[in-house]
Amino acid sequence: MTPPLPDVWRRPPLPTLVAAILLIACAEVGGASMAKFKLELARGARAVMLSRPAVHGLVGVRDADEQIIDEALVKFDAGLRLFHLHAEGMGLVIIATTMTAATLVRSVGARRAIILLLTVGGAAYPFGYLLWSALIPYYGIQTGKAVAEWVVWIPFGGATIVAAWWLVVLVGASLVRRA
Amino acid sequence: MRRPPLVVVFVGLVVIALGETAGALMSQLRPQIAGYARARVAANPQAHGLAGSAEYDAEVTARAVYAAEAGLSFFHTHAQGLGPLVIFAGTVAASTVRWRLARGAVAALLGLGALFPLGYLAYSIAVLERGRDAGIEMAERYVLTPLGSAAIVGLVALAVLMVAGRGRDRDA
Repeated sequence: MTPPLPDVWRRPPLPTLVAAILLIACAEVGGASMAKFKLELARGARAVMLSRPAVHGLVGVRDADEQIIDEALVKFDAGLRLFHLHAEGMGLVIIATTMTAATLVRSVGARRAIILLLTVGGAAYPFGYLLWSALIPYYGIQTGKAVAEWVVWIPFGGATIVAAWWLVVLVGASLVRRA
Repeated sequence: MRRPPLVVVFVGLVVIALGETAGALMSQLRPQIAGYARARVAANPQAHGLAGSAEYDAEVTARAVYAAEAGLSFFHTHAQGLGPLVIFAGTVAASTVRWRLARGAVAALLGLGALFPLGYLAYSIAVLERGRDAGIEMAERYVLTPLGSAAIVGLVALAVLMVAGRGRDRDA
């Protein structure tokens, strides 16, 4: 007979909590910096774009070029905002899900793997938006997005999704066993 | 800290997992989702008030597709936020509310409220099938308002019960 599940939360490993707290702190700093340095960031991105006309398809006609630059700046800003938003959210998701795994997953191997995937995946994933923003002025919207996707979003976001559903299945199985 | 009932934790986790998956799918399948939405609008011309004028219909379709995509985006963001919130608020309820019945009621309301983001999925589907305004009204009335109210009532009840419990402690 399996022992009953604990009624009290168990703390996730300290490095996990530190990663989650640092991620939330980065989100707060990111949000504050976006507000404080909005003009400087836009000016910097614009200057880089103007120095790389071929990358952005700038043709030297002011009206056409301004439209292209504006679109890229909107995406540049969106990337920063999405970093802020996702980092705040994922910090809390990491704490909630790893606390659940630490308490409710009985198998040591599964517990360690889930916590590792949730911590690494959840903490790294939001930085994909920051990478996208940083790449836009240098390589354009689509190339920047493709790089961020393959380097960060797919591996780390994928890790989080796999771990989240794995945890759902294990907790669901506990629920069924109890019923 | 005590953990909330297993079913509340499970609902919170499912909502988080759905939210994460939806975000990834939205990012990878954006053109396919937009194409499907446009096809559903075209399949429901009366609901959307399509008039047969290419320019007017294109504008109506674009607005409906935008609303459907916004619904999916709201689903993703609300699921990521509400999943952890329900687990944390459920923990506070399990740890601080001493009356068993009240604790159970708060947990039930929070568990129900955790399903609120699913209302935005209903919103996206209703917009495409029933027309933009009618679909939004339907999702708000039958899904978003009841589930959102459950979450709000659960949180307010939790706050009231915490204050009441504290008052009782002081009197004792």
